[in-house]
Amino acid sequence: MSAMRTLRALAPHLTLAVVTAAATIAFLRVGESPASPQGAGDSLRFVPHPETHPVGWPSHDKPLVLTNPYAHDAKALGVGAKLYVSYNCIDCHGADGNGSMGPSLADGRWHFGGSDGEVFESIYEGRPDGMPAWGGRIANDQIWMLTAYVRSLNGGRDVSTQNFSGRAVERSGH
Amino acid sequence: MASAVSSSLLFATGCADKGSSTPAAAAESGGVAASSSAASDALSAGPRIAVPRPGPAGEWPMAGGDYSNSRFSELDQITPSNVQGMHVAWAFSTGTLRGHEGQPLVIDNTMYVITPFPNVAYAIDLRAEGQPLKWRFRPENAQAAAGRACCDVVNRGAAFYEGLLIYNLLDGHTVAVNAQTGQQVWKTRMGDVSLGETITMAPIIVKGRVIVGSSGGEMGVRGWVGALDAKTGKLLWRGYNVGPDKDMLIDASFKPFYDHDKGTNLGVSSWVGESWKQGGGVAWGWVSYDPELNLIYYGTSNPGPWNEGQRPGDNKWTCAILARDADTGKVRWVLQVTPHDMWDYDAVNENILVDLTVKGAPRKALVHFDRNGFAYTVDRTTGEVILAEPFVNVNWAKGIDLKTGRPILNPEKTTEGERLVKGICPSLEGGKNQQPAAFSPLTGLFYVPTVNLCMDFKARPVSYIPGTPYIGADAPESRGPGGYGGEFIAWDASTGKKAWGIKEPFPIWSGVLVTKGGVAFYGTLDGWFKAVDAKTGTPLWKFKVGSGVVGNPMTYTGPDGKQYVAVYAGIGGDMGLLIAGDVAVNLPYDVRERGTTLPGLAKWTSWGGELFVFALDR
Repeated sequence: MSAMRTLRALAPHLTLAVVTAAATIAFLRVGESPASPQGAGDSLRFVPHPETHPVGWPSHDKPLVLTNPYAHDAKALGVGAKLYVSYNCIDCHGADGNGSMGPSLADGRWHFGGSDGEVFESIYEGRPDGMPAWGGRIANDQIWMLTAYVRSLNGGRDVSTQNFSGRAVERSGH
Repeated sequence: MASAVSSSLLFATGCADKGSSTPAAAAESGGVAASSSAASDALSAGPRIAVPRPGPAGEWPMAGGDYSNSRFSELDQITPSNVQGMHVAWAFSTGTLRGHEGQPLVIDNTMYVITPFPNVAYAIDLRAEGQPLKWRFRPENAQAAAGRACCDVVNRGAAFYEGLLIYNLLDGHTVAVNAQTGQQVWKTRMGDVSLGETITMAPIIVKGRVIVGSSGGEMGVRGWVGALDAKTGKLLWRGYNVGPDKDMLIDASFKPFYDHDKGTNLGVSSWVGESWKQGGGVAWGWVSYDPELNLIYYGTSNPGPWNEGQRPGDNKWTCAILARDADTGKVRWVLQVTPHDMWDYDAVNENILVDLTVKGAPRKALVHFDRNGFAYTVDRTTGEVILAEPFVNVNWAKGIDLKTGRPILNPEKTTEGERLVKGICPSLEGGKNQQPAAFSPLTGLFYVPTVNLCMDFKARPVSYIPGTPYIGADAPESRGPGGYGGEFIAWDASTGKKAWGIKEPFPIWSGVLVTKGGVAFYGTLDGWFKAVDAKTGTPLWKFKVGSGVVGNPMTYTGPDGKQYVAVYAGIGGDMGLLIAGDVAVNLPYDVRERGTTLPGLAKWTSWGGELFVFALDR
């Protein structure tokens, strides 16, 4: 994976997302946030991807380590679960993140990394296989709550490469 | 082209003419119109293919084999008595994984293969030993398309026109390639992948026009079909399937059969507010063509979203069969088989054009095995439902009212009010999905790959967000009554009755080939390719290929005069997605079984992408 994925996530702006049923969400920027999640001023940094940095290679930038302000916030986790439905994540990634059009989020395998910062980045910037970029369209706070929810889906499960278990998994299907 | 006179190619029921082609004669038939099987006693009352194949019998010139979509071949070397000697003649890896729906074409001793995304085209030289490539063509194809396609990144095949191989790209383009050189001749953007418009269907070419339809019915797009100039790629017309008459190409020539379908701008007034703009009704299935009536036929998908409460009304013209003028695209008639769909019963399945006799009256018909579980025999001149009978387990409707063409709903299985409804049959995969059936004029029977799944359904509110799914329902599936996954059935469309069936442990997601030799071929998700006696349904032969089969078998005559049968192995598609689709398309190493609609399927198959070609022993 490229190590040169910049994170513009800290650009200070806030989006109002209308999370209501049967209404087209308007992507309107209505104001600026008072502060970015990690503090102001870090407008261009990199999320670290250790696998791309062999030991001993020089690093000319201090990597940005993003931590989720809602990491241990049960209430935020609940909000994230609701946002997961409201923003149609569910119909791509499946109920409980079991996968559908998009990859599973519950199997403990991450195509673009599973740390707080990497999941935030995936949501904020989008990914080339069709994941839309939500940054600037929904509030950074909401992305963090989604990150908390998405990271909770695996629940520490170890999913084997070939699952013959026959366990029941709900699927939204098409 | 397409001027084949229907009456010149008739097949009598039960006609087992063996004298038509020795291998040598078949080998020399290249370029000669395939009129060899016009049996002298052919003028019988038995059902016949309305529009037989225009070219040589030993070629496979278009997706469905012919404009009728019969998937019948006149080749007869392989028969019930010798098919046991069939073996793999050669194989070819497509270099891609994911669902290998569709079928190759064979024209002038060249085979053309289109892969799933990224939609590579291969031209394989059948004349040379070892089947070397003449060329390969790797189109520009937006990577984002891979995640915008609802139901795997499939492609259902190419069309061929005067030296051009023409097919659709997942990212919403149609492309034409020089069949000699593999060079791109033209490319036209037909859909907007950023909104979730993709294209998976196989185009057909009618009088120099490429007929193309969109996918994306789960993404809140608005469906259409378009016609392109085959020589230049220029858009000639585009007709939407929902919306105002002007957009739909509806004018005074619109003559639907049923009164409730008559009126103006029904594609708007049968929706609430502007919900038609995200109304779905895409055309991702097969297109048929009747040159005599000069009509093309195709079906439209589910309305968007699945949550029916957000779109009161009939939602015209989703879940409908449309007949359009082949020159102008104007809509001549529409039959909405599932008005106000609330089960995801797309009506995109193939319409097989046959002339047959129902209740003593000869009819120009199309036969359509709908997702909703009913087999429709429809008058293709008017859109009248002649008969409609369930061909699988059905409980959402009690029948089809022939006075109106509409289903008689079972109130216990409607999905209103976001309540949880259990045990709806068939499931959203349908009694049959896109995998096309075949028709043999020798037996008068249709050979239908069916699915025996039922579902629970619970709608939930959903917002339209461009480029994301517009679904709003959860619908887990499980096997239906009897516990089997699917059944390969033979169907009599004159009476609406099943002749026989072969039950399978998994839903059948491959298409069917039936031949004059009297053999029907199909494949299974657990990786078997099978041959059965077309008359009796007796299983004759099977071979375990490298991956689950979701492609459509076809047959051709090789340069050596022998009959070959070819099929893709490569699990995927909406059903196979359960095993194949759990990771991004560029991470091909992961084979976990994701869902358990089909528990145990992962024991039988893994990802693959290979063409298998079979022939008789020497």
